[in-house]
Amino acid sequence: MANRVAIQKTVRHVKPLISQNNQEARSRVFGLYKAWYRQIPYIVMDYDIPKSVEQCRAKLREKFEENRHVKDIRVIDALVIKGQQELKETVNIWKQKHHLMSQYFKETQEPKPKDFLSKFLAGQ
Amino acid sequence: MFSFRIIRSASAAITGNVVRRATSLKVDPSQKKSLSDFGKYVADCMPKYVQKVQISSGNELEILIAPEGVVPVLQFLKDHHNAQFAVVSDITAIDVPSRHYRFELIYNLLSLRYNSRIRVKTYTDELTPVDSCVEVFKGANWYEREIWDMYGVFFSNHPDLRRILTDYGFEGHPFRKDFPLSGYVEVRYDDEAKRVVVEPVELAQEFRKFDLESPWEQFPAHRSKPAAEDVAIDK
Repeated sequence: MANRVAIQKTVRHVKPLISQNNQEARSRVFGLYKAWYRQIPYIVMDYDIPKSVEQCRAKLREKFEENRHVKDIRVIDALVIKGQQELKETVNIWKQKHHLMSQYFKETQEPKPKDFLSKFLAGQ
Repeated sequence: MFSFRIIRSASAAITGNVVRRATSLKVDPSQKKSLSDFGKYVADCMPKYVQKVQISSGNELEILIAPEGVVPVLQFLKDHHNAQFAVVSDITAIDVPSRHYRFELIYNLLSLRYNSRIRVKTYTDELTPVDSCVEVFKGANWYEREIWDMYGVFFSNHPDLRRILTDYGFEGHPFRKDFPLSGYVEVRYDDEAKRVVVEPVELAQEFRKFDLESPWEQFPAHRSKPAAEDVAIDK
């Protein structure tokens, strides 16, 4: 009896966002990646950004790799949902050129100073 | 002499048998009775979902439900002959990070037939989806998009869940309590790039904590009263 109560306390049943198990979440991530991958030539053409298709695909890969450490199925689902919304906004040209350029290619941002000398020169 | 008269007249208003409070809300007992009766009736009809019934500010009926019951309870309140809350006047949320379920969803309904309002409250967290009530109220569409945009509460089965207030590419949910007041990014036009650029926010001034709370208690007469009073329901 006490054992069951302890299990109920430690194992919290949660409502799934969409995916029921790991494989389903994984296939959703791949689906999203492929959808972006296939749309990139059209995005580059429509938005007329100063980037090549290869550079955009490398950036796509980088963005997905950023979240490689995520293991929770619900967090993966939430990220996939946001990624799908982003894709829709991009493909329908609701965004503008500067949205793409400043959201993904942060070229005007100066990298944060890391070592002592550059921190000192930056006045920190 | 003059100031003395002022004090006399001021005290005369209080020392009588009836204490007149011009600014306090007058509660109609019969209205309150009918509201609490209706609250009990709703709790009896939907015992699975209704967790608590309370009346706040004397005349505002609140039904606190489990998140699974959003669609059934709203459908009941809309279609039941003695309720007919057919208008969704507002849906909103509040964020209390210290709670186990940090978001509280609030549905304000209006019954034109009975000239009455009701408030339905439920709860969720960042990753728990709530059933969309667009199938019950068409007008809930944009309200739910707004809550998704501002708080990041996901509504399952919503026909068109996307951002409504923030700019494309905006990251984060601004009405969450952990979202900083100054935001994360700032926007400017860059002459070299010939476009608008987005950069991490850089504030020239240090962050200041403004303490806006008054050191005096502003409504001492209402100190002990809780905001909402419970209506007893059978459990």
